[in-house]
Amino acid sequence: MTLDAVVRRAFERALDPRDVISDPVQCRAYECDGLTGYRVVPELVLLPRDGAQVAAAVRVCAEHRVPFVARGAGTGLSGGALPVADGVVISLARLKRVLEVDPANRRAVVEPGVTNLEITSAAAPHGLYYAPDPSSQQVCTIGGNVAENSGGAHCLKYGFTTHHVLSCEVVLADGSVVTLGSDTGEQLGPDLRGVFVGSEGTLGITTTITVRLLRTPETVRTLLADFGSIVAAGEVVSDIIAAGIVPAAVEMMDTLAIEAAEQAVHAGYTLGVAAALVVELDGPAEECDIQFEQVTAICERHGCTRLHIAGSREERAAIWRGRKAAFAAVGRISPDYFVQDGVVPRTRLAEALDRIAAMGSDAGLRVANVFHAGDGNLHPLVLFSAAAGESERAERLSGAIAELCVELGGSLSGEHGIGTDKACSMPTMFTPDDLAVMARVRAAFDPHGLCNPGKVLPTPRLCGERPGRYRPHPLEEAGVIERL
Amino acid sequence: MTLRPADLRSVHETVLDTPGRIAITGAGTAADWAGPLDAVDAALDTTGLTGVIAHNPGDMTVAVRAGTPLRALAEELAPHGQHVAFDAARVADGATVGGLIATADAGPSALVYGSLRDLVIGATVVLADGTVARSGGHVIKNVAGYDLAKLLHGSYGTLGVLVEVVLRLHPISQRTATLALDVPLAEAAEHAARVLSGPYEPVALEWISTSPGGEGRLLIRLDGTEQALPARVQRLHEILGSPGRTASNEPWARHAELVRGTPGLAVVRVGVRPSELPGLLAALPVNAVTAGLGTGVATVALAPEAVAQAHTLVHAAGGTSVLRSRPTGCDAPAWGPPPSALPVLHAVKTALDPDGRFGPGRFAPWLVP
Repeated sequence: MTLDAVVRRAFERALDPRDVISDPVQCRAYECDGLTGYRVVPELVLLPRDGAQVAAAVRVCAEHRVPFVARGAGTGLSGGALPVADGVVISLARLKRVLEVDPANRRAVVEPGVTNLEITSAAAPHGLYYAPDPSSQQVCTIGGNVAENSGGAHCLKYGFTTHHVLSCEVVLADGSVVTLGSDTGEQLGPDLRGVFVGSEGTLGITTTITVRLLRTPETVRTLLADFGSIVAAGEVVSDIIAAGIVPAAVEMMDTLAIEAAEQAVHAGYTLGVAAALVVELDGPAEECDIQFEQVTAICERHGCTRLHIAGSREERAAIWRGRKAAFAAVGRISPDYFVQDGVVPRTRLAEALDRIAAMGSDAGLRVANVFHAGDGNLHPLVLFSAAAGESERAERLSGAIAELCVELGGSLSGEHGIGTDKACSMPTMFTPDDLAVMARVRAAFDPHGLCNPGKVLPTPRLCGERPGRYRPHPLEEAGVIERL
Repeated sequence: MTLRPADLRSVHETVLDTPGRIAITGAGTAADWAGPLDAVDAALDTTGLTGVIAHNPGDMTVAVRAGTPLRALAEELAPHGQHVAFDAARVADGATVGGLIATADAGPSALVYGSLRDLVIGATVVLADGTVARSGGHVIKNVAGYDLAKLLHGSYGTLGVLVEVVLRLHPISQRTATLALDVPLAEAAEHAARVLSGPYEPVALEWISTSPGGEGRLLIRLDGTEQALPARVQRLHEILGSPGRTASNEPWARHAELVRGTPGLAVVRVGVRPSELPGLLAALPVNAVTAGLGTGVATVALAPEAVAQAHTLVHAAGGTSVLRSRPTGCDAPAWGPPPSALPVLHAVKTALDPDGRFGPGRFAPWLVP
């Protein structure tokens, strides 16, 4: 079945007809997001120019029961913006106005198509910035960040998108427009904004977002330290945290990731070392200086083989260039790769990495590791060659790594989201009752399931579940839950 | 009838075995906040659900039963140099973790750490039909699934029983200092703007009234290390252009008293863009005030007859307001004009508690049982 002419004309009335794209060649540009393994060509792509047009388009969807998928820059890595067959994509790319920067109240009001970095650029003249900084911040949009509850390298200290969004104007699945959240941390009833942020586009489309801005820290100190083992680098992180220091960022890269990053951007990392640790502190100068001395002493105590302290803004930028380039750089040392995203309790990092290394050698595949060591968020990169027929094996390994994170008491995803990619793994982390309650919440926002269907929550159609005899849930076996 | 289950299983069974309407209660430190409860068939007392389930100092997380007083949890965490970075006034009165979440309470340090919605990383909830649902987990960074704990935050016992909660912890600062400056509100707001636009990183920045006539005191709290804090305090003195006084905890005890309320008066919690706050407070017939000049959140004491007008004025300023404690017999409205998201609130309530069993009346007149 395809969308009939009546529906298409309704969209053309709601928007400028030129903003309704039906040419299959043009629609193909929207067939996937950053997770290119999943592709569906949408029937139509809508390019509204403001929030009112988004609401008008959604009202047409509601009236004709057409499923819709909101899309920002399409940089997501979990298939969260994968189109739905027989549905439409609503691109927010044209809603890119910064509506207000309010330095007195340290906040900005923006449309969803504004990029993450553009918010900081608009705030910078006032000595302010927007804290969450996903690696893709130059291109990813704030609307997508809200959908995914994006983090970034600095979220250990500063938190995630949910901590920095005060309110959202949201178009609900019936086309009505509501405001979730308020101008302060106060709420009128349950924190609906908090449920909306991170719901991966399944509860509505945000058309205006009010974000908190922070004052640019007075001092930023960054170091790059090399270690002979991942374990030693991990102990440094433990000691920093035990000393009561909350670093702005703690990042770790292993040998393979360093090799890739160096080939790509020549940021000055040491080739061949087992682990490179990036530690960044920020804050008032007096505090920052004292704690930075403590951190360098901890690094030396654990036998760091090289300690490079960024002496200038340029040197600091180079360290971050190496770290942030790591994902894409892996393309230089492998024809193909999967980026995984999972979380383990920080204290189980070494165990997790041992297990991942063992799983990699069992599968005969290399795994490069880049991770946020402060909060246990791993990004294992599974290297493979599709031409050599390794794709399926690599995909299995990557999926097994995410599920390993759950087994170790962590999460299937720290920042990339569940999307299409991991919906079928959700039962490893949540019980059927947990998921059923989430489905009830979803239905409260969107009773007809039109808003980004097939994402986050597993469905029998998606996952091919078959009812079978009782088996204990993995969490039950681990003693985390009991069946009542 | 009061039921006092002591673990998850007995909460589940209690909810299943108890017909009719149920009030979910904690330590009772906010029992009369928001809309008054309608008649109920039973009270589910959560104060039997106590104790730490797991504290992982290296991960800076703790899983705790929701009926645990936060004060008691703080005592257990303190030897590890860690705490829940949360300082609402009623913590000292024995408020439970679950109660503080359900009422969306927050203290002065919300300026930096937010409220408990920002610190809860996992929750186990029992719904009105007995369903046990978990969300989040034991790790700080986690985006898997909907964050149901957020829905419980500010739900005033109307959506489910919080049974277990996992919280993110922060290190306890080596040292803390508070600068106190006796100035009226308008002047305090100017100081606050200067402090907030500089590199001083205050943890709390509040003005408290010291007389009904408009006199008051600005309190600025800095947290930091032994070595660095004195220099930071000195810098702050310099930009304030007046010596101020470096005080102990005494002014914060006074702050907490004002938040608790004044006998014979109603307490309204107000939130508005920070720059709007001084003007709004000047327009309200308030007897006593604490005003978060960085957060935009104020707690005001006023005559019960003035509550309705306060709701109207706050709403007109684009803010939020809710009635907290009030004198016995006071029938002032708990809520002002409804938010645009009321249909969503209604739909969520219907999805999770279709028979209206939990906390009837709390959101009246918005949600009518």
